[in-house]
Amino acid sequence: MIQPQTYLNVADNSGAKKPMCIRILKASNRKYANIGNVIVAVVKEAVSNMPLRKSEIVRAVVVRTCKELKRDNGMIIQFDDNAAVVINQEGNPKGTRVFGPVARESRESNFTKIVSLAPEILQIIINLLFQIENTPINNWND
Amino acid sequence: MPTVSFHKRFFAFMSHFLVSHTNFIMAVAHHNFLSLGQQCTLTGLKPTACHLRGEHLSWSMWPAFSPVKNTFRNPSVNNRDAPVVSKKCELHKPRAKSKADMEQEEDVDVDLSKLNDEELDALFNEYGEVVRSDGESSSSLEVDEDAHSLAFAVALAEAAYEVKAAEIKVLHVKPLVYWTRFFVIATAFSRPQIDAMGKRMRDIAEERFKKIPSGDLKPNSWMLLDYGDVVVHIFLPRERTFYNLEEFYGNAAVIGLPFLSQVPR
Repeated sequence: MIQPQTYLNVADNSGAKKPMCIRILKASNRKYANIGNVIVAVVKEAVSNMPLRKSEIVRAVVVRTCKELKRDNGMIIQFDDNAAVVINQEGNPKGTRVFGPVARESRESNFTKIVSLAPEILQIIINLLFQIENTPINNWND
Repeated sequence: MPTVSFHKRFFAFMSHFLVSHTNFIMAVAHHNFLSLGQQCTLTGLKPTACHLRGEHLSWSMWPAFSPVKNTFRNPSVNNRDAPVVSKKCELHKPRAKSKADMEQEEDVDVDLSKLNDEELDALFNEYGEVVRSDGESSSSLEVDEDAHSLAFAVALAEAAYEVKAAEIKVLHVKPLVYWTRFFVIATAFSRPQIDAMGKRMRDIAEERFKKIPSGDLKPNSWMLLDYGDVVVHIFLPRERTFYNLEEFYGNAAVIGLPFLSQVPR
């Protein structure tokens, strides 16, 4: 549920830190953007010494939303943050790597490039499992 | 050390997990262990038991889940790759179990509530084994699909070779990502060449394999043809070094291409 004035996180290493949505593309009468939609955003905060600067206007694809996403099979997916990946006019990502989990819906909306740069989620699960294993079980008593 | 009942331990685990790792709940649910189930060797493309980059999946990694039920199955699993943990099944055994086995399993079920942690751990160490959820039919089907995708990927790579692409690589990425099997990566030196290469690949895919790619086909410095099991990336040299996909998928096996080793005519 991204609408104009929404601040998002950036899920890539393009250099933008906090883009603010100013327009949803390909939606003349739609209020909100969901996963897989392209938005126009202005960079409100940026990392220094990176190509993207503050107050630059960019396009971005929404890859994670706090608003839950329902799939046809009944699965409901919800993330902790709203995040987007900055793209250029051609649709190529401006960063070289994408961070964090990315929903399959990005591929269905023809952003397979973003999906192929996204990390292997499997690896995250393995790390998680190891973390859990190392946590002392006695603390879970109550 | 006080012993904790399993239900208590399970709920404690779940709440702990939910609180601290909410962001990745999706990852777990989303993946459904899709990629865990099968790892194919390139020589025979034979499925093996759950290997996670050499790590054998066992409940020692996920202690609180292990003794809760005799068989654990992710409820939303809709994929034949998903592994199932069963206490009495071993890989080499056929799927159909004998009556004695079944009875024994039932016994284990009944006893589970009375045993303490250590006994259950010992039981699991003795009997626990990760097995595939399906029988041989699905694995052979899987091998067929892999072989078919491989043939398709190699045909596309050959098409790229015919239009003078450079540094053609076919990567077997199935063990690394769940959403595809093979990557074909090639470099073209100009946009018209990218167009020509894409057109040739699309024609071959349509004529010989009856497949149509998804995605937009506008001229681009990184053209991507998504055939589902095979994903083709055509880059300009600058983009190829910029995105550096080969390094990102560095653990993927590179498949040798027969036409590259031939002497040019």
